[in-house]
Amino acid sequence: MILAVVDDSFPAAWIPPYNTLVVAAGVASVGFAAGVVGCFAVLRRRALAGDAAAHATLLGVGLAFLLGGGRRDLPLLLAGALSTAIAALLGLVLIGRWTRTRDDAATAIVLGVSFGAGITLLSGISARGIPGSAGLEQFLLGHTAGLTAADATILGVMSLLVVGIVALFLKESTLVAFDPLFAAASGWPVTLIDYALVVLVAVMVVVGLPAAGAVLVTALVVIPPVTARQWTDSVGVMLPLAGLFGLVAALSGVAVSSAVPRMPTGPLVVIAASILLTISLLIAPRRGGLARWLQARRTVAAWADGRLLEVALRLDGDGPFTREQLLARAPGAAADSAFKRLVRSAAIEPVVTRAGTDAWRLAVWGRELAAERSRRVAAWTEVLEAAREDARGHLTIDVPSPEAILGAARMKAIRESAAAERVAGAARPGQPWQPGQPMGGAGG
Amino acid sequence: MTMSTTSAGLEFHDVTVAYGRRPVLWNVDLTVPGACLFGIIGPNGAGKSTLLKAALGLVPLAGGEVRILGAPLEQVRARVGYVPQRESVDWDFPVTVTDVVLMGTYARLGWLRRPGPRERSLAAECLDRVGLADVADRQIGRLSGGQQQRVFLARALAQQADVYFLDEPMAGVDARSQERIFRVLSELRAEGRLVVIVHHDLRSVAEWFDAVALIDMRLVATGPVAEVLTPENLRRTYAGRLDLLDEIGRAVAEGGRTP
Repeated sequence: MILAVVDDSFPAAWIPPYNTLVVAAGVASVGFAAGVVGCFAVLRRRALAGDAAAHATLLGVGLAFLLGGGRRDLPLLLAGALSTAIAALLGLVLIGRWTRTRDDAATAIVLGVSFGAGITLLSGISARGIPGSAGLEQFLLGHTAGLTAADATILGVMSLLVVGIVALFLKESTLVAFDPLFAAASGWPVTLIDYALVVLVAVMVVVGLPAAGAVLVTALVVIPPVTARQWTDSVGVMLPLAGLFGLVAALSGVAVSSAVPRMPTGPLVVIAASILLTISLLIAPRRGGLARWLQARRTVAAWADGRLLEVALRLDGDGPFTREQLLARAPGAAADSAFKRLVRSAAIEPVVTRAGTDAWRLAVWGRELAAERSRRVAAWTEVLEAAREDARGHLTIDVPSPEAILGAARMKAIRESAAAERVAGAARPGQPWQPGQPMGGAGG
Repeated sequence: MTMSTTSAGLEFHDVTVAYGRRPVLWNVDLTVPGACLFGIIGPNGAGKSTLLKAALGLVPLAGGEVRILGAPLEQVRARVGYVPQRESVDWDFPVTVTDVVLMGTYARLGWLRRPGPRERSLAAECLDRVGLADVADRQIGRLSGGQQQRVFLARALAQQADVYFLDEPMAGVDARSQERIFRVLSELRAEGRLVVIVHHDLRSVAEWFDAVALIDMRLVATGPVAEVLTPENLRRTYAGRLDLLDEIGRAVAEGGRTP
């Protein structure tokens, strides 16, 4: 099939058939809309509810097929799918409100029961060989090859409609997703907005059925938003970006499946989406695995460098010191590489200078650095002692100057209260605890 | 908008709240005058937050009624501001500091209308007031606890309310933020607004608050700080909670003086 495309008239005369173009456009908008709507499902932590709705669609497809007298009319089948998807969500709400079942258990129950019923019904229909029933199982894993231009147009228009609604109510949806308590206190109908968002997810799950199938369509709703979140800190960017990722995933899935006969679309869409996700999880700046790993390494290295300097300053008071002396007093996995960095500095801006084969002295610059670091560590220790919340909020591993961060006046106040506490502690009777002595024995 | 001097800022009449069959608030009858810093004090699990939520219509009342500025909540909701507990939201949410403060203007904007230049300048003003102008465009997760709390306060300021409810605004907050928050709240009082604060730190009560209510499921005592924070009242509020005896001892020893 792929080879058929690459005939000698390519590229000049190769124009995809009209039907293919319309289906591609329809599926692209489905992917886009699923990504956009999915953002709120993910941010509001409702992704699993969408999955339950998706699994419930098969039952509706089967029922609509029987009610329609065996016609394979896509809008009719999707209407059936939507009704059972919403029924499943309603079931979730009712179980949550009237029984003491937990959310995750309730979701699993609704998902399992509705999916089981749907599979049973579809198997029954196909076992009886009802005319026209062949191909209903395509709703299980998705199959876009049979889509007509008219079907695809309906899917595309529905998708754009859903995107339009989300864009219109972006302000309200963001508010409710971020802080429902505040939203309710300022008079917004939080439950209504919540339900509306879940129904939109259900609509997208149904519209996405031909592309991804009941089992996998949730992936189209969940994966693109998670992918997009890796790249941005703003809802306004996350939505279109998730849409774009969904679009790319849906289109690639459809393209590959149309080239390979009898290949369902759903798994391919999911594979395409997960490739994008994997790349994003790895290389996204700040949130990506790689960036976090590098950050962790930098943290360890910065701390080791600082510790080594502090120890060097103490040793330097008694003359030259050896590598072994230094590492023995500043243990840690990164100490060795920190020492290498220290030595390497001797060539450029000398922190240490060589005083023998394995004998080192701190250079003037190194002594200044080390003294400043020791001063900061001592100051932050005092802040931790006297004003824990200040330290918790502002102390970072690179040990910034506390005066620069908290202000000189605040630091002075903290110093004074720490000093006062020390005086009070000294005046209090009682001895420090010694090993082998029962703790708090003198107390009463 | 100034409040009439005759009507109380906030009234609870025989308010009882239950979660399931368990009562959390028991026949609370409490009147808070207008324009003051009012503390709701009590041990953990005493129902302090629930009292706020009852006033804001966020939990159903088993019985009784709440009136704000002399009217039922529905009629005065636009004049009520709220600072929820900091832990109640996901701080990894993809919004900036300014985005969150703008949420304070949403109720006035109503459906569909987006914040415009007027709302943006109001948000900037509120951020400036709490000392966060320089982090306006930062994602909210990249702030210290005290800064996050001040973002919530700025959002409440953007609500331009006459009655403010704050739920534990000093929890996990550094001294500088605490000072700043209290200073802003005092300004609100000076402007004639009522500020009701759920608070847990007995030591700062005497320094900042005008009046308090001691709560432990029921109302133990209410009135001006000096009259209410007596050893006897504290013992009745914190009875049987040995872990808090030390805190009480300190508060009593300081005797309502500023630390």
